[in-house]
Amino acid sequence: MIHTPETEKEFKAQIKKSLEKDFMRKTLTNFSVAYRQSRSNAFANLDLEGMREDIACMKDAGIPNLTVLFDEFKKNAEAAGTIIHVAKDGDEANRIIAQIAKENGVKRIVKSKSMTAEETFLNDHLEKDGYEVVETDLGEWIIQMRHEGPSHMVMPAIHLSRYQVGELFSDVTAKKQDPEDIEGLVRVARKELRPTFIAADMGISGGNFAIADSGAIGLVTNEGNARLTTTLPRVHVALMGFDKLVPDVSAAMKILKILPRNATGQALTSYVTWIKGTNECAPGPEGKKIQHMIFLDNGRLALAKDPIFAEVLRCIRCGACANVCPIYRMVGGHTFGHVYIGAIGLILTTFFHGKEKARGIVKCCLNCQSCKGVCPSKIDLPFLIKNVYAKVQEEDGGKPLKTRLTSLLLKNRRLFHTTMKAAAKMQGPATDGPYVRHLPNFLMGDHNFRRLPAIADRSLRDDWKQVKPKVTNPTLKVALFGGCAGDFIYPEQGKAFAKLCEAYNVSVDYPMDQSCCGLPTMMMAQMDTAKDIAAQNVKAFTAGDYDYIVTLCASCGSHIKENFPKLLTKKGAVPADVKAMADKLIDFSSFMNDVVKVKSEDFMNLGRKVTYHYPCHLVRGLEVTEAPMALLEKAGVNYVESNESQVCCGFSGSFSVDFPMISKNMVAHKLDNAEATGATTLVTDCPGCVLQLRGGAEARGMNLTVKHMAEVLLEEKK
Amino acid sequence: MSQGDILQSMKEGSEKAQAVVAPATTLEEAIAYAVNLTVQEGGTTMAAPGMDDAARKALSAACGEKGITLLDSPLRAQMTKIHTAFTWADRGIADTGTLVLNSDSEEFRIATMLSETHVAVLPVDNIVPSMDALEGYMTEHFKKGPGYIAFVTGPSRTADIERILTIGVHGPKRLHILFLDGGEK
Ligand code: SF4
Ligand code: SF4
Repeated sequence: MIHTPETEKEFKAQIKKSLEKDFMRKTLTNFSVAYRQSRSNAFANLDLEGMREDIACMKDAGIPNLTVLFDEFKKNAEAAGTIIHVAKDGDEANRIIAQIAKENGVKRIVKSKSMTAEETFLNDHLEKDGYEVVETDLGEWIIQMRHEGPSHMVMPAIHLSRYQVGELFSDVTAKKQDPEDIEGLVRVARKELRPTFIAADMGISGGNFAIADSGAIGLVTNEGNARLTTTLPRVHVALMGFDKLVPDVSAAMKILKILPRNATGQALTSYVTWIKGTNECAPGPEGKKIQHMIFLDNGRLALAKDPIFAEVLRCIRCGACANVCPIYRMVGGHTFGHVYIGAIGLILTTFFHGKEKARGIVKCCLNCQSCKGVCPSKIDLPFLIKNVYAKVQEEDGGKPLKTRLTSLLLKNRRLFHTTMKAAAKMQGPATDGPYVRHLPNFLMGDHNFRRLPAIADRSLRDDWKQVKPKVTNPTLKVALFGGCAGDFIYPEQGKAFAKLCEAYNVSVDYPMDQSCCGLPTMMMAQMDTAKDIAAQNVKAFTAGDYDYIVTLCASCGSHIKENFPKLLTKKGAVPADVKAMADKLIDFSSFMNDVVKVKSEDFMNLGRKVTYHYPCHLVRGLEVTEAPMALLEKAGVNYVESNESQVCCGFSGSFSVDFPMISKNMVAHKLDNAEATGATTLVTDCPGCVLQLRGGAEARGMNLTVKHMAEVLLEEKK
Repeated sequence: MSQGDILQSMKEGSEKAQAVVAPATTLEEAIAYAVNLTVQEGGTTMAAPGMDDAARKALSAACGEKGITLLDSPLRAQMTKIHTAFTWADRGIADTGTLVLNSDSEEFRIATMLSETHVAVLPVDNIVPSMDALEGYMTEHFKKGPGYIAFVTGPSRTADIERILTIGVHGPKRLHILFLDGGEK
């Protein structure tokens, strides 16, 4: 039986414990690196974006019509002898299956892997009723014997080492098994499970798709156990969620072309099994199989009608959102999820298993966008995670005090800016140059992994009159979106931008009514505040007729470009002023490289050794990767790429305060990789990343300067 | 895509999935290949569901010569005894190196799922460039009522222990595909 913490405290304790599992962490880290490569190989020469778009469209067309697809499926399957059931929840599904077993005099049951059966805890139910149930997928068999849940949707036993499996198999066979001989261990499963297959009366499978216009299902597997499960026993039961319904073979094939490639980097799994109706089966009545299919609702049909969350039903269960998640790889699936794990698990848990099981995990997301970038169904996972977090908080009745205060403060721009000013004065004696000398008590302990910056004496807005570029007949008229960190902590970055603009004859405004972009409130799941703030900012930038709105903060940028339209959609449409702001928004590097078109001749070409950290919201939010590289090349620096240069630095605003143990490991990983390049400067495009990386480097006493690209360009400028 | 390209792609796809590909110009040649392979592997039995009378006769003779037992129907009674399954493949999907097996018959399923080695004879004219070309085939197949189709790409595999690719868990450990280019079947 799986255990999932229901309080934040218990959850944090579990995170700490998971962080101690060195083997698992190493395995998952290696996997995450290898996965990226094998995925990209698997999609070489294919139109991946087109394929993703196709899946999303096909799924979106089906979601409002699941019951129509179901009726069609039922008609076709029944005509071929299948008996169709609907279960409103997991319990009912389990009862139906137990009843089928009873009616058919079943004793022994074999199962092939099914996440839906994990969702309903089917094994527990059947075992309680006295049936012998054996999982036959190797990974599932292993975890069944260890009484664990799957720690990954596709690789359920990825958290275990060969030694743990070797020990288990030695027990099962009552004979010492050599853990180094993995082939030998696999042979144990083949040998032990053959007689089980042959003796079984009933086989239970899941289904990857249920094809409405034919009444057939499809199973995607590698081991061959699903074929045996659906062939040898006289009864076959398939359990599937309503979301597995697709209109026709062509839709199923769309999924099939992307699923194995995205899951494990395979062009196709060893087996894809398509089954319709009561096929030949000698021990069955009149030589035919007895076949039942159960469609599980468990909240899916209500989800299908939800304006925000319906999108999750696009999921094809490829598991990729966990593969690339920097948190998953650190703590593993038993901590980062309940039954369903990874990004999709953070969302589904609330709907399928209730907010008690979701409370701990929903907060634990960096918003790093990695999951979203690989999701074959283009589900906006990070956005939905924040929405589900909001839902859990609401249902829990009230928001934590800290959240309410932040929300209140950020909603009121004047109050916020006055507070920041006051804070800058008050912190005086507690600072040590640009850093805070002592951390406030609640930030001690776990938080010592980085030095926190002091609030600047004078903010960017305080000095804007002097800073504003002095240009006549400018070639471009732009506005600067400062962002909190850019305005109050690192005004020097905005000043560098202003100087560069002056040199390139670009006029820059700093609309004073702008405020925090609101992303921090969304991170705390204050969706209403996030909307208010977004609207305030749109208003602040609409007045001036700017060619571009430039930001030095990739996070603010991607929030404005992507989330503003989502947050401010009215009656299904994005208002024109919101769209205009999103369209005009551009990040610093793209602006300098693609719009201003700076040239190599403009720079001194001193050849200092630098490496680069790609901010999450630059690569995966704004989808910018080339501009920073082009700029570094033009600036004539000696660029050395860091390993995993696109992985999150672990900052993510309040996340690093809530989960310092995770943030600490992530920044350590980043800095190790940067150190290995031998570079003396680490450049990035986001003040949040500067805060995390500079603070981390300082705490380690490294000889590494962390700078924003704007500062580096200015330093290199002739 | 020319037929040469399709064949090449089918071969590469299959080999990438750890299948062995070999040419055969006649069914007799394919039979000889399967029988020799069984001998080499130390197997003593073969199952060949779905072969017509003439093919079965030829196979029976070839097996007899090498002391291999050609198992009779029903295979359900001999599930633990099948060394080699010798069958036709209905279609091939070139870009993934996949075999499409019409598995409606229970005998066929038992042979191809429970054998140690599967030798499949694939008429080269039945290879399509990609899965898309099979939509019609699939839809037609399921129109007539119950049915069971298997897409098979390489032998059975797992990576469930430490992500190390290991061949042969529950299905055949070896898959040999014979490209039959003689206009037969
Ligand atoms: S946004 Fe990042 S941290 Fe959050 S679930 Fe996705 S991959 Fe994990
Ligand atoms: S949410 Fe997307 S990436 Fe995650 S399992 Fe589902 S389909 Fe795969």
